[in-house]
Amino acid sequence: MAAQSIPATEFMAAIRAAGVQDVVLVPDTHQRTLLDLLMAAEDIRTVHCSTEDEAIAVSAGLIIGGRRPLMQIQHAGLYACVNNLRGVGLDGRFPIVMLIGLLGRDPELAPREDGGSMVRLAEPLLETLGVPSRLLDGVDDLHYVSEAFDEAEAREGPVALLVGATTS
Amino acid sequence: MSERELTEQDGGGGRMSLESALDVLAAHWVDQVVVGTMTANGAWMQRAPGDLNLACIGFMGGASALGLGVALAQPQREVWVIDGDGSLMMQLGSLGTIAGAAPENFVHFVIHNGVYETSGAQPLPSQERVDFAAMAAGAGYQQTASFSEAEELDAALDDLLAAPGPILIELRTRPGGKFFAARPTPPGAVPALARMWPPVAARLAE
Repeated sequence: MAAQSIPATEFMAAIRAAGVQDVVLVPDTHQRTLLDLLMAAEDIRTVHCSTEDEAIAVSAGLIIGGRRPLMQIQHAGLYACVNNLRGVGLDGRFPIVMLIGLLGRDPELAPREDGGSMVRLAEPLLETLGVPSRLLDGVDDLHYVSEAFDEAEAREGPVALLVGATTS
Repeated sequence: MSERELTEQDGGGGRMSLESALDVLAAHWVDQVVVGTMTANGAWMQRAPGDLNLACIGFMGGASALGLGVALAQPQREVWVIDGDGSLMMQLGSLGTIAGAAPENFVHFVIHNGVYETSGAQPLPSQERVDFAAMAAGAGYQQTASFSEAEELDAALDDLLAAPGPILIELRTRPGGKFFAARPTPPGAVPALARMWPPVAARLAE
């Protein structure tokens, strides 16, 4: 079944239901409608980072300080922050939930069958790192948002949510 | 004392030692969360042991962003980052991120000795030419300062710390010849950050 666009309003409801207090982000074209709502929200703070490496470390610092952050990046940023994901997220045992946009994905194909390496390599890389991932291919998958926080806390490590289609 | 004698005596063109700089910081430390990196880590924890220290080991360049997260989460608690020059150069964009987030409780010390000390004192690509205080001011930090002498640092620090942040204080030090041959985390050991952050989190939750 083809990936379906998730309306940003539905996404926001899932993020609020998960108790997210901060969204630590590097902008992602794929999630721009969600980003617009996040930046306008008064109950969720956005922290804008220059690099995804920073986003990992800022998220960890927020967790130390008792906050509940969600990290929002795109797949290229995942590749850029591998060392901090390993050194902070995995070695530091931080329950960081990452919302990763699969920009440019062919919605008719599974991500690992995509013609573009940025989409195709995301899941295999996360598997290599031992980071669980869930694919959000429609509103029916939004239950994974809250569940990702539970899973991250239970395993004391990062969990990835892959945004399959451009948000609307 | 001639300039030549002074240089030979301190070995670094008039720059203070890392230890003397950290002595000053420790004398002014109260209950700040401290994120240390590289050479400064061990030396700092000898001076101010306790459950408010975090170590940036294995993710070089991440100290400033880690400290930023703590500062944003705990605006009533001052956060000190004791960064290295090579470390900060790896995540230089963090200056802009910190300036943009504008935490008033954030103090960014940068040990500037011009070398990658832990790997054998190889020179930084920037050699001695970088001015971290000027870069932080350009990025938008509220306060910046630079010191080469421990006495001057000591005399100025209270006033600097009383001002709203973010603040960057460059500490121009001479290389100390501390080459670390040991693995950052011995096999089977819990990594430093995983050991250190839960007690800090517990303390901050009190």
